[in-house]
Amino acid sequence: MNKLRLILLWLIVGLPLAWGVAHTLQNALRLLH
Amino acid sequence: MTAIARTFGGESRVSFWDRRRTVAPADFNRFLVPPAALAVHLSIGQVYAFSTFNLPLTRLLGLVHSAPADWNLAEVGWIFSIAIFFLGASAALCGRWVDAAGPRKAMAVAALCFGGGLLVAALGVHWHELWLLYLGYGALGGCGLGIGYISPVSTLIKWFPDRPGMATGLAIMGFGGGAMIAAPLSLILMREFGTATSNGVAGSFATMGILYFAFMLIGAFVVRVPAAGWTPTGWRAPERPRRLVTTAQVSVGAATRSPQFWLLWGVLCLNVTAGIAVLGQASPMIQEMFSGRVAPAAAAGFVGLLSLFNMGGRFFWATISDYIGRKNTYFVFFVLGIALYAAVPTIGNFGSIALFVGAFAVILSMYGGGFATIPAYLRDLFGTMHVGAIHGRLLTAWAVAGILGPVLIDYIREFQIDRGVPKAQAYSVTMYVMCGLLLLGLICNALIREVDQRHHHRESPG
Repeated sequence: MNKLRLILLWLIVGLPLAWGVAHTLQNALRLLH
Repeated sequence: MTAIARTFGGESRVSFWDRRRTVAPADFNRFLVPPAALAVHLSIGQVYAFSTFNLPLTRLLGLVHSAPADWNLAEVGWIFSIAIFFLGASAALCGRWVDAAGPRKAMAVAALCFGGGLLVAALGVHWHELWLLYLGYGALGGCGLGIGYISPVSTLIKWFPDRPGMATGLAIMGFGGGAMIAAPLSLILMREFGTATSNGVAGSFATMGILYFAFMLIGAFVVRVPAAGWTPTGWRAPERPRRLVTTAQVSVGAATRSPQFWLLWGVLCLNVTAGIAVLGQASPMIQEMFSGRVAPAAAAGFVGLLSLFNMGGRFFWATISDYIGRKNTYFVFFVLGIALYAAVPTIGNFGSIALFVGAFAVILSMYGGGFATIPAYLRDLFGTMHVGAIHGRLLTAWAVAGILGPVLIDYIREFQIDRGVPKAQAYSVTMYVMCGLLLLGLICNALIREVDQRHHHRESPG
């Protein structure tokens, strides 16, 4: 239960962050190219 | 409130929000705390992306172009400045309350202030009343920023006595990452809420207010404080503490009377000044130094890249500091910073864009690293008892640097151009001034010694 909570919580914060980072990186590389 | 308290923990008479109710049970996994902290920092990091709304806020009536009755950019710019001012002020003034109230109550108050501030700002946009934006996002939201910034950090320090740099670096990385979520999210929301008669700012503010409030509350619900005397399994405090790592506790009052606090204040202020000056001018600087070779769109890409290094540096350098020590980490920031700033004019003359981008990527990683390593430095010097409050007071250095850095780079650039220096070379003097500031920072850092015993707290921290 504790482990499931841990995974779920990391996903909740990790996914939006990954989305934001991917977005920024994609824009940066496209513009710098 | 009582119902909530029952749902989450039986019939205890102690409120759900009380610090005592957040003391973790023995089987609690401490790795649940970093994501709780991240939930708050990712939300409040939205402030760095507030400029996404600047232009739309000047076209609320005219929609495509500003109408005569629309607010101008200077008026709108004050919203961000007020928010940053209240961030510093609330962190400095509410630090002791945050330490006493515990992280759950503090994070919930931060959620209320920040989410509520966005909702008040939405009303301000709807009624076209600028003072409501100053009051809502600026004052109320700014208090949410300050309380939300310091409360998870001091909690993480207590959970990770073995790796305080890594733990706080992770949370403070979230503050940098929050802008990367908020910038595209703002654009998506404005597109969704935009109609023929509205550009969707009010709807975006209201939605973000609710979303961030809920997201921050997740953090408040999950966060726990360790029981008194708790240590990580298998970890024992070293019998002979490392140099500059105290086992004593220093109260916030005694800390601010010690020279170490003011030297650290100088270290943070000078490191941030050097970084923030670049961050604010990165786009025009690369375009002017490589005139005709860097388009505005590519310059925007450069700014995005810098923000990634600013974020990554927060985790990287704070983690490194657990291994090489805080003082050595700042020594690297200042020495490497001086070398890179001094090299920038030569790189500009050399015409190498790749080297230029690389140099500033490293500089910005150290700017972020400076923010992320400071809480662990405070903990090393003053202990954990009032680390949140001390951190809050130290953040006033950020507010000063926030004014000093951009003003310095703007003023020197203008002065150079007025004296007939070509735009491409107008930044050279600024770079050497930055070297001077970093040298001062290096001296401040070198002067830091252990806190004198007369400042140590006599009683048990409790």
